[in-house]
Amino acid sequence: MSDSENILMAAGLDKSYGNGPARVHVLRGLDLAVRRGEFLAVMGPSGCGKTTLLHVLGLLTSRDAGTLMLEGRPAPSDAAGRDRLRRRSIGMVFQRFNLISVLNAADNVVISLRVRGLAGQDGRRVESLFEEMGVAHVRKRKPAAMSIGEQQRVAVVRALAHRPALLLADEPTGNLDSDNAQRLLDVFRALNRDEGQTIVMITHSAEAAACADRIVRMKDGQLA
Amino acid sequence: MAYLPLANILHYKLRSALSAFGIGIGICMLVTLSGLSRGTLGEIADRWEAVDADLIVFPRGWGENASDKSGSALPDRWADKIRSAHGDIVERITPIFTWQIRLGGQDQLAVGVDSDQWQHLTGGRQLREGRLFDPDKHFAQWIRTRLLTASPDSDANEVAEGLSQQDLSDPQHAGLELVIDSRLAAAGHYTLGQTVTTANHEWKIVGIVPAGAMARVFMPRQTAQYLFGNGDITKSTLMFVKLRGGADVGPAARDIGKTTGQDVVPLGRYRGMLMEKFGIMFVYVDAVNVIALVIAFLFIMITLYTMVLQRTREIAILKSAGASNFFLLRQVLAESLLLTGAGTAAGAAMSVGAAWLIQTLRPLLTVTLTPRMLVTAVVVAAAGAIVAALYPAWRAVRVDIAEALTLE
Repeated sequence: MSDSENILMAAGLDKSYGNGPARVHVLRGLDLAVRRGEFLAVMGPSGCGKTTLLHVLGLLTSRDAGTLMLEGRPAPSDAAGRDRLRRRSIGMVFQRFNLISVLNAADNVVISLRVRGLAGQDGRRVESLFEEMGVAHVRKRKPAAMSIGEQQRVAVVRALAHRPALLLADEPTGNLDSDNAQRLLDVFRALNRDEGQTIVMITHSAEAAACADRIVRMKDGQLA
Repeated sequence: MAYLPLANILHYKLRSALSAFGIGIGICMLVTLSGLSRGTLGEIADRWEAVDADLIVFPRGWGENASDKSGSALPDRWADKIRSAHGDIVERITPIFTWQIRLGGQDQLAVGVDSDQWQHLTGGRQLREGRLFDPDKHFAQWIRTRLLTASPDSDANEVAEGLSQQDLSDPQHAGLELVIDSRLAAAGHYTLGQTVTTANHEWKIVGIVPAGAMARVFMPRQTAQYLFGNGDITKSTLMFVKLRGGADVGPAARDIGKTTGQDVVPLGRYRGMLMEKFGIMFVYVDAVNVIALVIAFLFIMITLYTMVLQRTREIAILKSAGASNFFLLRQVLAESLLLTGAGTAAGAAMSVGAAWLIQTLRPLLTVTLTPRMLVTAVVVAAAGAIVAALYPAWRAVRVDIAEALTLE
């Protein structure tokens, strides 16, 4: 596989938390490559470092060592550069949805676009995403007035509104019932198949992972 | 409402309202106390500036205290001396005798003035009701005859003791008559013809002049001189000088000052003298205002800080989408400015209400709300909002995304 086919390449990723005896080594020289248009599932037991891996890949936290390439370029080491790359290329979906409670569904998407300097652009795409995700009817509702499935699908709309090159999903079905989980996975599958959306999904669920093109397993901070 | 700061404010209605109210109180205090202190003094200065004169002559040495001095000070003969020495530039001299008497529940500056000079002193104001005291100067002539010519060898005090309430208020010369202004009449519920007791004498209100005249209480000059000047009816407190057209105020003041050996200042300087004399009051008022505003903005800071602490996850969500530090700072700042803006608007409205209330309860006080004060309040509020937002904004910028998103 050539480098140009990889949207994401990580080599020798190291990450630890804490100092001294309390130091926890979470990622230990992890290597990972994700092809453009690939749907990758990362599985592993609790505490193996899946979420930390996602945070490092999503530039939410810095790595202690190792190299990280995104879209063929080294991930910036400065905060402003990481912010820029997150704004442009990465969309994230979280287990807890993380919608802003004081804003309605539509405004949660708009604020995300505003952060990215895209407010007012691509309104048609946002509308169609709401339709595709089956949440057009909750556009004016605040999160508290939505079901958990609706919240998660709105979170997906928000993550995709700016056409990110890479969608990172952290246990996206973890808080959903089986129907909603299946519906979300269908959405991911369709996005990947129809639009070539690259997706890296952290999951505990073998069923969820089965939707992916490829499954990797983590153990003790490394790919098993 | 994709505008997050406004959405937050509207979502946390009670907290936002309380924060804005806290700012509103600070702004209301700033505007109202400034308006009251400066307005009351300004209203006095306005009334003095209504006098149809160009210069004030007062005893040398009074300096900036001249604005609140009263009693016997200048021999009336200085008026003749000024006239004779500067007749070419002096059109008119109006000596007055001032004293504080209690009317309408508070001390009032009472001005003794000759009836034929009253029009000049009040800037040509017509009486709204009644008549002027001593219109034919019978009283003036009577008392001068009685005191200055009855016993040339005796000392003035000795003669003065001979005049009683009955002598002064005798209908033949009616020396105990007052003209008051309409604000005092309204505040004290005084009516034309009413007898009032003050300064140990009974006075009859014979006229009411529209507010804006130099003082709120006027009386015959000789009455004031006699009662409040130890019986000496040959001295006044100060003199207003009206110059002839074309005469320069500055040189005229210097020339008359040389002639009389007294201080001569342009009438326009009175306002400055008044403000300098009572300027310390502004220091107190401004100190209270600063304390009130600091408390109000600490309130805003605590509100914003609490908001940042409560919403670390939402801040982390924005950061996970790539929000820059500037974007976050702008959100916190905008929320601070919105709260402060609402508080300032509320404070301005409260100020209008407070001004109305003060002037209703104490009609003789003046609260002047000027656009300049409101602009000052807005500027102070905006500056305070920015300062109050800085620390919470810094905390927002420092939120650790991964930690905030991981915490349950």
